[in-house]
Amino acid sequence: MLKGIRNVVSKELKELLRDPKILIGMIILPLVMFPLLGMVIGTSIESAEQSLQTITVGVADFDQGEWSKNLTRYLSSIRNVVIINITATNLNEAVAQLQTNPKATDLIVIPEGFSANISSHKQATIETYSIYSGKGLTEGATSSIISQLLAQYNRYLAPNLFKTEAGSIVKGQPRKIDPRALLQVMSSQVFVLPVTVSILLMFAMQIAATSVASEKEEKTLETLLSLPIDRFTILLGKMTGSIVVAAVSAVAYMVGFNYYMTSLTTSFSSQVTVDLQTLGLAPSLLSYILLGASLFVAILSALALAVIISAFTEDVRSAQSYISYLYIIIMFPMLLAMFSDINTLPLALKIVAYAIPYTYPMLAAKAAFTGEYLLATFGVLYVALFTVILLYVAARLFATEKILTAKLRIRGLGLRRKEPAAEA
Amino acid sequence: MEYAVEAKDLVKQFGEIRALDRLSFQVKEREIYGLIGPNGAGKTTTIRIAATLILPTSGGLNVFGHDAVMDAAEVRKLITYLPEEAGAYKNLSGYEYLRFMGKFRAENHFELEKMVRDAAEISGLGDRLRDKARTYSKGMKRRLLVARALMTKPKLAILDDPTSGLDVIHSFHVRGVIKRFVEQHGVTVLLSSHNMLEVEYLCDRVALINKGRMVAEGSPEELKNKLDVANLEEGFAKVVGFA
Repeated sequence: MLKGIRNVVSKELKELLRDPKILIGMIILPLVMFPLLGMVIGTSIESAEQSLQTITVGVADFDQGEWSKNLTRYLSSIRNVVIINITATNLNEAVAQLQTNPKATDLIVIPEGFSANISSHKQATIETYSIYSGKGLTEGATSSIISQLLAQYNRYLAPNLFKTEAGSIVKGQPRKIDPRALLQVMSSQVFVLPVTVSILLMFAMQIAATSVASEKEEKTLETLLSLPIDRFTILLGKMTGSIVVAAVSAVAYMVGFNYYMTSLTTSFSSQVTVDLQTLGLAPSLLSYILLGASLFVAILSALALAVIISAFTEDVRSAQSYISYLYIIIMFPMLLAMFSDINTLPLALKIVAYAIPYTYPMLAAKAAFTGEYLLATFGVLYVALFTVILLYVAARLFATEKILTAKLRIRGLGLRRKEPAAEA
Repeated sequence: MEYAVEAKDLVKQFGEIRALDRLSFQVKEREIYGLIGPNGAGKTTTIRIAATLILPTSGGLNVFGHDAVMDAAEVRKLITYLPEEAGAYKNLSGYEYLRFMGKFRAENHFELEKMVRDAAEISGLGDRLRDKARTYSKGMKRRLLVARALMTKPKLAILDDPTSGLDVIHSFHVRGVIKRFVEQHGVTVLLSSHNMLEVEYLCDRVALINKGRMVAEGSPEELKNKLDVANLEEGFAKVVGFA
């Protein structure tokens, strides 16, 4: 019954393994991609752990009493906790002083009357403020360490002698909002934006590559290039068409994803209301403009890149597989944006991250919450420059015969045996 | 005298392969000039140089006095080009395709609609022009493309194997259309073909090309007399040494 199966299998394997698209996509890419992803996530977690090994906390002692000093001594005695004594007269000053130390993550405020209250067995209050920076994994971890330390001290002193009120420092302003609630709300943003940006870029690239490759596959490109129309106009026309389709699909995608995310988050945070507008965390007009500009140049560069690559292919299928290899330079910054803070990465990875143009739209998306407009602005300029170079290359390709004659040749790893008889 | 096409010492090198080897010829205005030869002779390469798609390695080609390399934009205004294996946009209807192509040349709406009407007549596709090109047979697609190449009444129509892959009936139709249209509108045609019958029927003069070189040139009658053969096919075999 299975007579001839060996012959069929042998032919199948030859066909499959000699196809460079399958070789790269199914074998080489996973071999590179997974270790790379592992490295990114691993380093992110490692750097997060490192940053938690010592935490730097400011203590603003407005009480200056026996018990407040005792508490400060207790906190100082704990290994891995570095205490900065804040000498301010009010909360805002204290916050400003705290933020001069880049390592500081939290502020403990001991209000006036703390010692007196404890001595007279009245319930006292301690306020804690956690700096919100919108930077990924470690965010919020320090505030729970501090609340645990304070709870421990509270138990050690006498149960429930003081209560802790947790707040957040948002863009330099102390706010009475629980850092955990804030993070819960913000985390959805941290995930939604990089994912949508990535999807948008990948869609745009696929569409542009398909539009050029299908002209080659359907043999319509030669006719198009012989028409009395500027070649650059053809290129721009193709790219504009792709932008429109990509934008429509991005909007559809964002609407869908937004429904999905709201259905998740509303069930979590129904008991706390976080008004992003008053916290200054709602994206401002400037941040929208920056995000828009950043996305626009990034999409243009992605389109130009896709056009260049598809110019070297013969058909749609090859163009799409070659484009999918480029996903790695979109996925890498996306994962970074989702799971980590670029600044905490080892130098080599940091350089790679900043060199990839598609890191910048992710940073621009985050800038809305972190206020890092400078880097986002630099990103727009950097990606714009990159885009101009790519557009130049794409225009050159379209202007010469290379658009018709260029071919990407990737040899199967020695699997292509030379058969002299066939070559004669 | 200004020639419609004047090729001078054309050389085209693709890596180690010399596709054209000092090929020279002239095409007079209102003439149908055919390039014939076996596969790989250099017909398509010559035609693609004339269509401003590829550059010669050396030598030159002028179209109505305009250099196809230095003055490609001007040349593109004078020509239409039908590639050998061309397709139409699958998701556009025949009419949409013709309008898309016509808009690059028509000065106004009136002229565009005239072009489309002419093309409809040339193609003979009738109501099928309302259907998407993906539903067309190979023959219908070719008729659409030939109509597209002729509808603008270019000064020079460059047709690479116009009846490529067509059956007898479709070929007959396409040949008739080309012959009639060129006579009526004074279009010059540079075409290539494998089909000797077609060349005899259509061309005023032909060039026999082999390995990138011209091996014989003249009107079909002249060639047959000169080579002392019954038809061009035989003459061609004789020239390239098969017979």
